[in-house]
Amino acid sequence: MIRAVNVQPHSTKVLTLVTLAFLGLAAAFYLDLWGHPALDRAIPLVDTNFISTATARMSVADLMRSGGDISSLDCYGCHEKNKPLKLKLDAEGNVVVPKEHDDIVMGHGRHNRNNNCFNCHDETNLELLQTRDGRHLKIEESPALCGSCHGPTYRDWEAGVHGRTSGYWKRSLGPIERKVCTSCHNPHSPPFPPRQPAPRPHLLHPPAEVAAKDN
Amino acid sequence: MNTDEHGLGTEEAGGPANERGTSRRGFLRTSAVLASGMAALAASLAPLRELTDCTTVERFLQKHYKEMTPEEMNKVLERIAREVEKQYAVRPQVKDYKPMDGVEFVYCLNLTRCIGCRKCVHACVAENNQSRNPEIQYIRVLKMPHGSLDMEKGDHYYAPESVPEKGFFYLPVQCQQCKNPPCVKVCPVKATWQEPDGITVIDYDWCIGCRYCEAACPYFARRFNWTRPSIPKERLNPNMSYLGNRPRRQGVMEKCHFCVQRTRQGRYPACLEVCPAGARKFGNVLDPDSEVAYILKNKRVFIQLKEELGTSPRFFYYFDV
Repeated sequence: MIRAVNVQPHSTKVLTLVTLAFLGLAAAFYLDLWGHPALDRAIPLVDTNFISTATARMSVADLMRSGGDISSLDCYGCHEKNKPLKLKLDAEGNVVVPKEHDDIVMGHGRHNRNNNCFNCHDETNLELLQTRDGRHLKIEESPALCGSCHGPTYRDWEAGVHGRTSGYWKRSLGPIERKVCTSCHNPHSPPFPPRQPAPRPHLLHPPAEVAAKDN
Repeated sequence: MNTDEHGLGTEEAGGPANERGTSRRGFLRTSAVLASGMAALAASLAPLRELTDCTTVERFLQKHYKEMTPEEMNKVLERIAREVEKQYAVRPQVKDYKPMDGVEFVYCLNLTRCIGCRKCVHACVAENNQSRNPEIQYIRVLKMPHGSLDMEKGDHYYAPESVPEKGFFYLPVQCQQCKNPPCVKVCPVKATWQEPDGITVIDYDWCIGCRYCEAACPYFARRFNWTRPSIPKERLNPNMSYLGNRPRRQGVMEKCHFCVQRTRQGRYPACLEVCPAGARKFGNVLDPDSEVAYILKNKRVFIQLKEELGTSPRFFYYFDV
């Protein structure tokens, strides 16, 4: 088989050249000379808050179930039973929120007409809620209270169309989880608070004005 | 040396140089050059080993999704699980979920409620094992000026301190799961088709990456893997399906599939579960008690996006009131 190779100085030269070429090729691959250009920038992984399925806030019922701190719901820790409460009003007839309750933002309704504590809270038993038509409800039964004014929204909510419904669309395969009004809305100031948006798409070749904003 | 001499001598019975010009020195030199040449050749071909990433014999001989028997499918699922485990060191659960009888999926999105927070975008990426760098996202949220539905005016790249912004509404766009899908018509190899439950799916192992479907889609819903997708191990979702969220290869198309791995088990899609505003609704439109049937009956369902194209989307946008 050796005989098959015509051993001339000439062919040795050619073979050496070919070998060098291959070695060069191997080195080029090793150094990745024409490999993929490195991506322009590292894209940070998105904050897990943005993929969390938690609702905007926690309702009282959720709080009770999760064993959270509900001491602020113990009205008669501070208030006296059977003693009628008087609301303080300012010159314009708005309720003055006492400093013990200064975490409460009075923002229910656009016209300031509904910012009266006893529109919803029961003045005779502070641990209860009352509707305008005289029903008394426990604090975790708030959807019925909200629904006593927000009829169409309540109807949608009952149909599973307003608000969050999670779990199984096919009820025979698993349970659904309904959230109540106060899981998302603050009852004292119901509009959805603005929030930070998740990061925008990172393009390989973003439009010039987007790239300018990034840098 | 002696053996060499003998070796040559026995065959050729000659001295240092025979009549055909082979000398010992020449032979040794040639062998040395040849050996190093072969080694260099092998070294230069080394990158070819990475080609196993492009295809394997198993994958090459694999049949089309619709032609596979259940046994063949099981083998394929086993292969996928093996490949994922090798790459990510996570043992996934790969299944092939079939459509349910009497189910047609419909998605409804409440434009009054959407606040443009983009949580759906990232929940989808996490659920469906999309590439993080370069980024592949199935959902694009357009910031639209009030009073217009001209998608040319939409802004994909808004990044204010907080949303929603005054004077704008937000229009999330993803695969509309058309009843008359242009992307399916243009596929030259039938790698994408519409399933009986209304979901248009892709067989990633059959796709040749021609991107015709991407060009045909009027909603910019299809994405192409220009590079090998990169997914951090700790963010890999191990609950996978063949037509759904199993990791894709470089060079294939992908798109929203209504989370087949969730919805065909009766669950809601990931984008719905994460929506803080409850703007997303999903269900079986053939069931009169479903939320989507209620919406189509009672709400101001005003558009199927680009209705005039006749694609007849299964994705409806509506307003409250």
